Amino acid sequence: MTPPSTDSASAPSRRRRWVGGSSAIVAVAAGVLVLLALLALLADVVTPYDPLKQNLIKALQWPSASHWLGTDDLGRDVFSRLIYGCRIAVIAAAEATTIAVLLGVPIGLFIGYRGGWWDWVVMRVVEAIVSIPGIMVAIVILALLGTGLHKAMIALGILFSTSFLRLARGVVLAEREEVYVRSARVVGASDSRILLRHIFPNIAPPLIVQVTLTVGAVLLAEAGLSFIGLGVQPPDASWGTMLSTAAAFMDLHWFLAIPPGIAIIVTVLSVNLIGDVIRDSIGRGIAVGVRPGTPAARFESAAPPAEAAGPVGVAIDNPVLRVEGLQVMVAARDGGEIPVITDLSLGIAKGETLGLVGESGSGKTLTGLAILGLMGTGVRTTHGSIALNGRELRSLSSSQMEDVRGNEVAMVFQDPTTSLNPAFTVGSQIAEVLRTKKGMNRKEAWERVVELIHRVGIPRPEERARAYPHELSGGMAQRIAIARALSCNPSLLIADEPTTALDVTVQQEILDLFRDLQDEFGMAILFVTHDLAVAADVCDRISVMYAGEMVEMAGVDQLFAMPRHPYTRGLLTAMPHASDRNPPLPTIRGSVPRPGSWATGCRFSNRCDFRTAACDRRIPLMGRERLVRCVRADELVLEAAQ
Amino acid sequence: MKTWITASAALMALAVGLAGSPAWAEGSGTFKYAEQVKLITMDPQKQSGSGVPFLRPAYESLFEKGPNGENLPLLATDYKVDGLDVTITLRQGVSFSNGEPFNADAAARNINRGVELGITEGLKTVESASAADEFTLKIKLKEQDPAIIDSLCYTGGMMIAPAAMSDPALDRNPVGTGPYVHSKEESREGEVQVYTPNPTYWDKDKIGLARYEVWEIPDDTARLNALKTGQIDAGNWLANPQSAIIDRTAGLKLIRGTGGLNYHVIISDREGTVIPAFADINVRKAMAHAIDRTAFSKAVQFGLAVDSYQPYGQGHWAYDAGLEGVYAYDVEKARALMAQSKFPDGFTFDMPSIPLYQSRLEALAGFFNEIGITMNIAPQEPGTLARVSRTTAYPATNLVWNTNTDPKFLALRYIYEDANYNPFKAKPSEELISLAKAGLESVEADVRAPVYKKMAAQLADEAFLIFVASSPILIGASEKTANNPTVVYRYGEDSINLRGLKAN
Amino acid sequence: MFRLVFQRLLALAPLLFIVSVLTFSFTSLLPSDPVDLIIGDTGTQEQHEMLRERLGLNQPIVVRYFQWLGRAVQGDLGTSFFNSVSVTGAVMQRLPVTLSLTLVSALIAIAVGVAAGVAAALRPRSWVDRAATVGATIGQAIPNFWFGLLLVAIFAVNLRWFPATGFTPISVSPWDWLRSVTLPALALGLSSSAAIARQVRSAMVGVLQQDYIRAARAQGLSQRRVILRHALTNAMVPVVAVLSFQITGLLGGALIVEQVFSINGLGTLAIGAVRQQDIPMIQGLVLVMVALVVVVQLATDVVYGLLNPKARPS
Repeated sequence: MTPPSTDSASAPSRRRRWVGGSSAIVAVAAGVLVLLALLALLADVVTPYDPLKQNLIKALQWPSASHWLGTDDLGRDVFSRLIYGCRIAVIAAAEATTIAVLLGVPIGLFIGYRGGWWDWVVMRVVEAIVSIPGIMVAIVILALLGTGLHKAMIALGILFSTSFLRLARGVVLAEREEVYVRSARVVGASDSRILLRHIFPNIAPPLIVQVTLTVGAVLLAEAGLSFIGLGVQPPDASWGTMLSTAAAFMDLHWFLAIPPGIAIIVTVLSVNLIGDVIRDSIGRGIAVGVRPGTPAARFESAAPPAEAAGPVGVAIDNPVLRVEGLQVMVAARDGGEIPVITDLSLGIAKGETLGLVGESGSGKTLTGLAILGLMGTGVRTTHGSIALNGRELRSLSSSQMEDVRGNEVAMVFQDPTTSLNPAFTVGSQIAEVLRTKKGMNRKEAWERVVELIHRVGIPRPEERARAYPHELSGGMAQRIAIARALSCNPSLLIADEPTTALDVTVQQEILDLFRDLQDEFGMAILFVTHDLAVAADVCDRISVMYAGEMVEMAGVDQLFAMPRHPYTRGLLTAMPHASDRNPPLPTIRGSVPRPGSWATGCRFSNRCDFRTAACDRRIPLMGRERLVRCVRADELVLEAAQ
Repeated sequence: MKTWITASAALMALAVGLAGSPAWAEGSGTFKYAEQVKLITMDPQKQSGSGVPFLRPAYESLFEKGPNGENLPLLATDYKVDGLDVTITLRQGVSFSNGEPFNADAAARNINRGVELGITEGLKTVESASAADEFTLKIKLKEQDPAIIDSLCYTGGMMIAPAAMSDPALDRNPVGTGPYVHSKEESREGEVQVYTPNPTYWDKDKIGLARYEVWEIPDDTARLNALKTGQIDAGNWLANPQSAIIDRTAGLKLIRGTGGLNYHVIISDREGTVIPAFADINVRKAMAHAIDRTAFSKAVQFGLAVDSYQPYGQGHWAYDAGLEGVYAYDVEKARALMAQSKFPDGFTFDMPSIPLYQSRLEALAGFFNEIGITMNIAPQEPGTLARVSRTTAYPATNLVWNTNTDPKFLALRYIYEDANYNPFKAKPSEELISLAKAGLESVEADVRAPVYKKMAAQLADEAFLIFVASSPILIGASEKTANNPTVVYRYGEDSINLRGLKAN
Repeated sequence: MFRLVFQRLLALAPLLFIVSVLTFSFTSLLPSDPVDLIIGDTGTQEQHEMLRERLGLNQPIVVRYFQWLGRAVQGDLGTSFFNSVSVTGAVMQRLPVTLSLTLVSALIAIAVGVAAGVAAALRPRSWVDRAATVGATIGQAIPNFWFGLLLVAIFAVNLRWFPATGFTPISVSPWDWLRSVTLPALALGLSSSAAIARQVRSAMVGVLQQDYIRAARAQGLSQRRVILRHALTNAMVPVVAVLSFQITGLLGGALIVEQVFSINGLGTLAIGAVRQQDIPMIQGLVLVMVALVVVVQLATDVVYGLLNPKARPS
């Protein structure tokens, strides 16, 4: 079985490890199939008895030294019959799959390439066949052909050819549109050459996957047809016919059903497992990449956890949010934990906007989620405190946290089209919050929804409230998300890159909306962004994060005028002057180190132009009015590049 | 030959004596019987083989078999056979359930329809029938037939209402004179046929049930479960694992009926047209000796069958105890015979099969394999074995023979050059031909018995019919059914006599 | 909603037509002459001709097809070749049997599959997940009829909790109906529940990583509400999209499982019809099955539209 592991890494890495972890299973599965093939090949040599040799006096015996799996109703050796059954299984699977491929692929290629009426007619026929239960199709074909192994396999071959046909057609249609096929046609290559050169390499991977699926299905279908007497005919030993005999003897000798049943299950299981592995590995090769919503993997190997520094904070009077000495750890593969945020302290006052700025991977989004207690499994806050309106959030139970979320703190996410549930109308999603959190009835909630939607600047709010997220533009959807976040009037709003996914023209409108709403509702805002220009627009103060820690914090004007950390300066330098913010931050060499591979001293040191020997020690956050984590902060005079 | 009149008088007296209770006339309770074959047709003249239990409630035959196989009156009251002329006196005061009167005209139309359809084996010897007067039926035979009255005890003698004959749906709408009528509304196709009392029945005292059901349960295990759970009161079985279970289950009873089914191999190609080896008498005798009938009966028929070396069962008037063991299991002798033959290295042939006979043939293939003969099993659609056996598609076949059938049918089926199951038109030996002729010359069993005993010996000698095992007709019954005194199993048939049957 | 149903009906109607053409032409290819099949060797030449006339076999196939179709549209699927039983009657009599088997097994498959899939997805790589994944993988490899044999041996023959064979119509006794349908439905639903569990798990894992789930949590909605309303509704979208294939598969599987439990459903009818080459019966059966599939597709399409607003006609 798989080695125990409790990490909650992203889907792709999990799958890779799942496959790797179950390599033992795959090896066993492959071994089973090899054994099956060998037994099929060598059945005459390895069987202890002739599978048809009967001994009526010794019928229906239990397993013994001379008959390992006992004897059947005519005293034939079950073990020997089982081994001959392997041969039938191999023949059946090979025959039906081959017929399916040879029939389905050429027709699929042809109609895919030809298109037009051919395509239309064949596809309608295929749809019709697919809409009839498969076993019924096979039975009707057998009515035409008569019974027997080969006829049954022809029937199954015809049945399963439809999936190969659709697969081949799909590949051709996709490839036809590809530029290189068109260009090949331009340079005068013949149709057949185009097919050979371009389509066959592309069809191979899905074809292999489909073959494994088909083999498993054929084995089960063969057993089923033989069971109802339309497949392999006795006395030939197929697993299905053995089960058919066993069914008549369930009362007298139930054991007869066990060996062929196990043989079918183990074989089909092996084929399916191998198929899963092939599908996964091929799937990765042609997959569309990581899902946008999936966070990138944050660790590669274990490293000694960085020492937690003592809390250093900026004294803010009467803060809405106060975070002190926060440390967040993520479970590692080896069972240990790796820090992803260390020694983070910050505070936000009522009506204030604090910007949290840094490259992706710096831990700024995670900080927001840590405040909400929504980091996901395997990630946990280990040190420090998070106080909201003077109440320590870390000590709250999960139901108390549920109560805090929405009421006292809410969050707006980066992509409005994915942060709204596609299944419900936007109005109902806001109303749901009002009804569950505020206890409003349906009517009150709806009136408030319309009001809120109107407030975030959407015309015709009644009508928009009944729209589904996909019916709204990105900017409008983000306004809805903001309306929902503000529906319970929270004292803290966490905005995670709320404008990044939007059009440039819309961005400004949303930023303006934030400012307006803050004036009206008076909430504190934690504004997470990688974009300093955006931060400059809405924030009062800016906190720069790098590799899980804060490296600098200052008022907007001070920071822009005189950055004190080399990283901040790097960010400012990379800031585009035009409104074109694409690509962002191109000019700091290297990239943010992954958690677990952080330097013991200054985590920026390997990218820093001002590195000295002193940088190898742990650097504390220093300062009063503004904070900076750099030993040379005082000696360096850094200016934002002009 | 009129002994049955006294017997029937006695029986009638018994019936009258028992008919004391007035409730009998209406009948009460339900009796449920399960049939192992699927219902093909309820038209008796299109019916062949099994399925008679579906017909008996609604149809009555002219005669019926008594407990010892004697012919008793039913719709007929008397008969006379004179050479090729048969005169039958019919019962008066009988009407069909659709109201039509039963008379000689109706009976003649029935017989003529059966002859014309040509399916009923028992009417093969009939030329035509006519009404002599209102209640006297005359049947003209093509040839001497000592078994014509036997035939009229079965489907050949069942009487259909004349108006119903033109109904294309007669196969599901039986109209006869029987004690019960078929209820189409309550029946469920493929599952159960329901019969209710016939209000116009001529012998009301014999109606003992308010409802009779025949369940169609072809699956042996399902039928067994139905019997165990009380879903059915009785049902018929072949010799198989399930009937063996009934035999050993407390609370159930396996009733071994009179007569039985004789399973045998037929070497159709005995002149060697396709398989030259079959023309060699040593090969045929070797095959007969190679079969371990005792093991076969024990393992394949679960001890419910007995070894068989002749067409008749023990107790039949033509049975010859002297033939027992004539082909006793002896592999050495069989191999020696093969060595003497012109085919010492063996040969291969194909044998048609249906699922019912699958395990039997697999077992036989194993036996023949021991003496170097390879028998390939060629599966056929169920219900088609008899048909392919009448063609030259296979050099040999396997069938069952009801041991209660009159021995004259042996010749009609297997011996004559144009016999049904002699597709290769093999010429019969002089001995067999003369014995077959001699068997028809009398209607008296004591006269015919020595002839047919000789025929059995001659058949054993020629060894183209290899008899294997004979199993009785098996009926599984619940304990209550077994203890029900009104349950009378029909002689040589897998059904219960409905006249007088009461619920458990 | 009405519009959605109508639109899907319009799309599905041609399917029935094409299936009817296919079935009719295909069964007309059967190797044996139906007249020979019915009469056998015994009939005379005259009888053959009469029967041919009566069955309309002397007409061209196109004419025969449209005659058949015309009657089929009115609910008359013809008469069996082998007895006077009407195909419509025979099929309609068996339909409730197979239908209750299919529906109960579909319910079991959906309930078990969704529960297992959700449980597995909520705690990836936990023992629950692993048990569900291994169970689903094995479940898909077990032949349904073998599982049925096993269920009979254990729960019917040994424990006697359920009847081993047979079917009780729901109109006779709802309780006995449930008892008679439980084991076959379990046997039939096994592999589908495994497949559904796998689909639900992977869909659910994907959905749980979506922003809107995190957003719903950030809004302070309870875990229960987030999982059952926000996550499951979306996770069911891809599952429902392929559910009709699963149910079609169940309908096919029922044909075999019926044999294990000796249930007189469409399967018994179909196998008998094929063995006898009873052409009108085969044609009728295929058509009725496809009609069932169409209904199932329609139902899943509607549910799909309810779950997924993007799929609704605008």
